[in-house]
Amino acid sequence: MDWDQFDLNPKTIAALKKADIKSVKEILNLSGADLQRLMKLSSADIQCLLKTVSHTLRRNSMLTALQLYQDKDHFTSQHQRLSLGCSVLDSLLKGGIPLVGITELAGESSAGKTQISLQLCLSVQYPYKYGGLESGAVYICTEDVFPSKRLQQLIDQQHKLRADVPAEIIQKIRFGNSIFVEKAADLDTFQQCITRRLSLLLARGMVRLVVIDSMAALFRGEFGPAESALKARYLQSFGAQLHSLSTTFRTPIVCINQVWCTSCEIHACRNVSYFLYRAVGGRVTPALGITWSNQLLMRLMVRRVPLPAPGAASHCAGSWRTLSVVFAPHLPPSFCYYTVQLEGVKGIK
Amino acid sequence: MQREVGTLPLAPALRARLAAAGFQTAQELLDTGPCGLSKEIGISREEALEALQVVRQECQGDTARTPGGSGATRKCTALELLEEEQSQGFIITFCSALDNILGGGVQLTKITEICGAPGVGKTQLCMQLAVDVQIPECFGGVAGEAVFIDTEGSFMVDRVVDIAAACVQHCHLIAEAQQEEDHGEALETFSLENILSHIYYFRCRDYTELLAQVYLLPEFLSEHSKVRLVVIDGIAFPFRHDFEDLALRTRLLNGLAQQLIIIANDHRAAVVLTNQMTTRIGQSQSTLVPALGESWGHAATVRLIFHWDNSQRLATLYKSPSQKEATIAYEITSHGFRDVQPPAVPPSTGGTELNPRKRPRTEGEKQ
Repeated sequence: MDWDQFDLNPKTIAALKKADIKSVKEILNLSGADLQRLMKLSSADIQCLLKTVSHTLRRNSMLTALQLYQDKDHFTSQHQRLSLGCSVLDSLLKGGIPLVGITELAGESSAGKTQISLQLCLSVQYPYKYGGLESGAVYICTEDVFPSKRLQQLIDQQHKLRADVPAEIIQKIRFGNSIFVEKAADLDTFQQCITRRLSLLLARGMVRLVVIDSMAALFRGEFGPAESALKARYLQSFGAQLHSLSTTFRTPIVCINQVWCTSCEIHACRNVSYFLYRAVGGRVTPALGITWSNQLLMRLMVRRVPLPAPGAASHCAGSWRTLSVVFAPHLPPSFCYYTVQLEGVKGIK
Repeated sequence: MQREVGTLPLAPALRARLAAAGFQTAQELLDTGPCGLSKEIGISREEALEALQVVRQECQGDTARTPGGSGATRKCTALELLEEEQSQGFIITFCSALDNILGGGVQLTKITEICGAPGVGKTQLCMQLAVDVQIPECFGGVAGEAVFIDTEGSFMVDRVVDIAAACVQHCHLIAEAQQEEDHGEALETFSLENILSHIYYFRCRDYTELLAQVYLLPEFLSEHSKVRLVVIDGIAFPFRHDFEDLALRTRLLNGLAQQLIIIANDHRAAVVLTNQMTTRIGQSQSTLVPALGESWGHAATVRLIFHWDNSQRLATLYKSPSQKEATIAYEITSHGFRDVQPPAVPPSTGGTELNPRKRPRTEGEKQ
């Protein structure tokens, strides 16, 4: 660290070099008394040092809420969202997936989680005007094989799903080229994937969506009940790294999670009045549950509807599903119906 | 002038030398003069001059401080403190049940901590308070501004716009109902854009940035003297990963708490922190407890825990120096943080009405 470029007293700079302090982080980690002893300076000098390094670290970082509201720039605006490719689903989410933060998509098996994430991988490639981010996607598989056949089907049918986009624009996009599939079946490979591959792709601007399918599979069976502290540390570490990548590159991260509904535990499920939330006599069991939930910005849940919804139009082939918002800082708990068709996931009004 | 040498803000090595040489009070130092000082303790004349300058400034500062002002030590009676506290404003939350158990609302000059599981409404309450702190005095508010430090990225400005719009509308309704002079004036400046422009937003991505931001807060609050609320949402997130050395974390958190207490007191602001919950595994069962450990529990003056009971959101006042422990129900509506609306009473019932909020009808009142 080149202390000479800081706006400090030469005496302080000399003391910093002599005490072998190498970074701003080290300075802030030490208490005032420790700094005085290490650098042999008075408390007034130390206060001055702390203020100066804090200023340098936090220069120009204030915004008012009004500036946030009025910011219309594609890259920085809070209003920019990633569309799901269907106007009904987008209106449930007030525009789509937020760009900064981890969004979780939880649900039972075959409820449609992979379908929705494949659809997101395609919709991210559209221009900003049509709700995309003009960039590719990374799909990290942790257990199943990547559904490339289904992806090809969806690509062929994009013109049918996205009737709002002119055909020549759809034709120009090379959908298959911009989806990077990574396989990470255990924790170490996953760690490598995040720190190396993901950072590289994001730094080069080649992707602006990360899908992880699925988070729960990485932890299933690896940790017994006695190792819950270790499991929590992994979860927190992954969550923090993903969060940091998402903030730095303004890239949404969608994590798919499974839901277990055994008689004695429910994971990844929170109360909404039309959900059955059961816990054992008020006790909460440690799971991928709360440690992971603390890392999330938003949680969505998908379910199969067992019977056709009342008043269902009989022409809808395939069973109905619901997409619900379990928690989000900007959305009320709500839900909507959708079906999975050949061209993709479509909401039903 | 009678300041002891040990309390002067000099380098520790210098203080040790002065003590060894037998100097006890600041007056003795000033009397000796720079030449004498440099000879006595063996430092250069420049250093001696500097040290004496510091001593002189300190002593001037001491005498300049008025007895009742914010000096190093201040004497006052408990009655004066009581009067000060009673005139202290509260920031209302728009949920009257919560305001009641808090004794009027979120108190200025105190640190309030809100703990809860994800999705229960902590950030919603923070956004509500950032709007409510700006309510003009004629409507019962403190007419202040807000600083919002966001570590998780959960501050969605669209939601703040909804909350602010509902608050402005509420004030308009009050003004119409009560028809007083100053209401109209206050409403002219209490608009959506005004409210948004007085919420100062800082985004901190890791704990180093958070620490740096808190070092800069006193200066910021001196420049923006109308700020009456500092929100840190959330305090746990940056401190719960990457900390191999938990002793360091405890020390940093304690330091942070001390700085926040000083800020709350010096600038008459309320500090609101949000915390996560974690599972504590006991002998036979596990419970949810606030994160960051036992020692962090001492940092906040008032602690609220938000939790669920089936699908009802509840708030428990867990720690308060002046109010008793209580639990109330609240709701998050599209307008923000509100009371639970009692269910509408169906019109055609007899005396067997089960709504507990209504007293039972007696025969004479029945029509």
